[in-house]
Amino acid sequence: MSNQQQGSRAGIRRGLSNPALAGLLMVMPALVLVAIFTIWPVARAIYQSTRIESPIFPPQYVGFQNYRDVWGSFYFRDAAENSLLFAAVTVPALVVLGVMVALLLNESFVGNTALRIGMLLPWALPAAVSGLIWKWVFLDSWGALNAGLYSLGIIDTYIDWLTDTDLARLAVVIVFVWAQLPLAAVFLLASLQSVPEELYSAAAVDGASAFGRFRTVTFPGIRPMLVVVALFELLMAITNFDIVYALSQGGPGTATTLLTYFTWAESFRKLDFGRGSALAIIIALASLVLILILVRAMPKGALVEEEA
Amino acid sequence: MNSRSLARRIAIYGGALLLAFFWFAPFVLVIIGSTIPETNLTSFPPNWFEDPPNLQTFDYIFTGKIPETYEQRGALRSMISSEVRDVPRAILNSFVVATAVMFINLIFGSLAAYAYARLQFPGRRFAFTFVLMSRLIPTVAIAVPYYLIVQSLDLINSFWALIMIYSVLTLPFTTLVLTLYFRSIPIEIDEAAQLEGASPWRILNDIGIPLALPSIIGAGLFAFMLSYSEFLFGLFITTTRERRTLPVVLGSLSANTDVSWNMLMAGIVIGTIPTLFLAIPVWRFMVRGLTSGAIKG
Repeated sequence: MSNQQQGSRAGIRRGLSNPALAGLLMVMPALVLVAIFTIWPVARAIYQSTRIESPIFPPQYVGFQNYRDVWGSFYFRDAAENSLLFAAVTVPALVVLGVMVALLLNESFVGNTALRIGMLLPWALPAAVSGLIWKWVFLDSWGALNAGLYSLGIIDTYIDWLTDTDLARLAVVIVFVWAQLPLAAVFLLASLQSVPEELYSAAAVDGASAFGRFRTVTFPGIRPMLVVVALFELLMAITNFDIVYALSQGGPGTATTLLTYFTWAESFRKLDFGRGSALAIIIALASLVLILILVRAMPKGALVEEEA
Repeated sequence: MNSRSLARRIAIYGGALLLAFFWFAPFVLVIIGSTIPETNLTSFPPNWFEDPPNLQTFDYIFTGKIPETYEQRGALRSMISSEVRDVPRAILNSFVVATAVMFINLIFGSLAAYAYARLQFPGRRFAFTFVLMSRLIPTVAIAVPYYLIVQSLDLINSFWALIMIYSVLTLPFTTLVLTLYFRSIPIEIDEAAQLEGASPWRILNDIGIPLALPSIIGAGLFAFMLSYSEFLFGLFITTTRERRTLPVVLGSLSANTDVSWNMLMAGIVIGTIPTLFLAIPVWRFMVRGLTSGAIKG
């Protein structure tokens, strides 16, 4: 009896150490958690998007009506335009500034380390808090920027940073760049430092100017990382929600209402989950297409081949 | 040559000063702002320093002692800003949630990563790709379904909901980074142990985890930081003041148009301190993990 038990226990142990079974068991907890919270929500969102579900109307199947409503709505177009404009300004700005900051940090100067460590802070801060800090800087009525410029005698009347359409947009861009630039710069710096020194000396021997060296040596060396940074920042720009919420609440009017903020407002302010889901699916598809286009456009070998 | 190198130094220091100003000035302003009495802060023309700066805002947050300048404006004022007093508890809430997420990432993440890196099993490639791809869905797109799921599980306003959601959002990244790390460990070490008759579990426990420990801890801290900072889900899952996480408390204060800003800034200062301690280890891990492991320069 006890012998048999021992035998089966040993059998179980042998079974568990079978690599295939062990592998399955090891990935299971994470896989199940992620799968449940991916497949179910996506299926649910698709289902939801074909129905009217709001506190006011009885639930009802409406087919593609929500999609048509969203697509045809002025506010959707407006938010999509805002998002495109936002990404079109911030992504190139982050790439260009990122390279400049990386080149700067690659030089030796007093305070270099302090700057490198200090710039962790804007990056590590919750984005909602970043928006909040800057809200006080930009506040129309008695923000720090207005108070400072007034005290220095640069302006006579306070500037409406957050209630003027263009200035409010600029403010959101500045805060986003402030928070994202450290990461962009550090990745580019790391890639900069991996460019072999010999290439620079060779270029110098050839009599290349500083700009020439950048164009022929530095740029090709960091190009893969440039693509990665651009992709990553594009995703961050598309999904930016916290900063808008804390800084401008999408205003004035709809000037800073990006797609994510719009989706949130549609779902949780208006409690129109049907339309909110349709909107969410449109955004998910759009960003998927964007990612695919960019991955296609990436130079070959930009990322190491996954050999999974 | 000499004048050129001088110009170069000037450009470098000029750029560095500009950057330092851009990055740090807002923090300095917030620290200053938190110590200035509200009446001075809102005065026009601005005279912030007419009355001496003080720490009464911090006193209020921790002890509830109402700053002197508030008394002139009556009880309503202090009621409106009393939400700021939620900050210490919100830090604790965020801490509890983020710690749980970190442990889930440590355990589930390293188990899965080791299997993806080292073991052959059916569906490995598909599962790995699926987990990574799951993060390409924008969070706002799944926000509504998440809300409905949490609602149907009766977990609205529960930390469990936040812990589950944040784990799902962080596990793919943890898995990716740790898989890449495990792959970089020479396979001969595993093979030697295998010849000795060690099971995959034993190899992971005795060899894999000790070798990968710095990366595992780094990945865990990264998950911690993301959870500590998350705002969107925290905003709609927590419904009572007792359960709100730090970004939610501060974010909703900012939406309050009548908030007292010196209070709010004191709240920001207190709320930022834990981030300070996390930033450096997480940063090191990020830079090392993402620049050496995943991407060829």
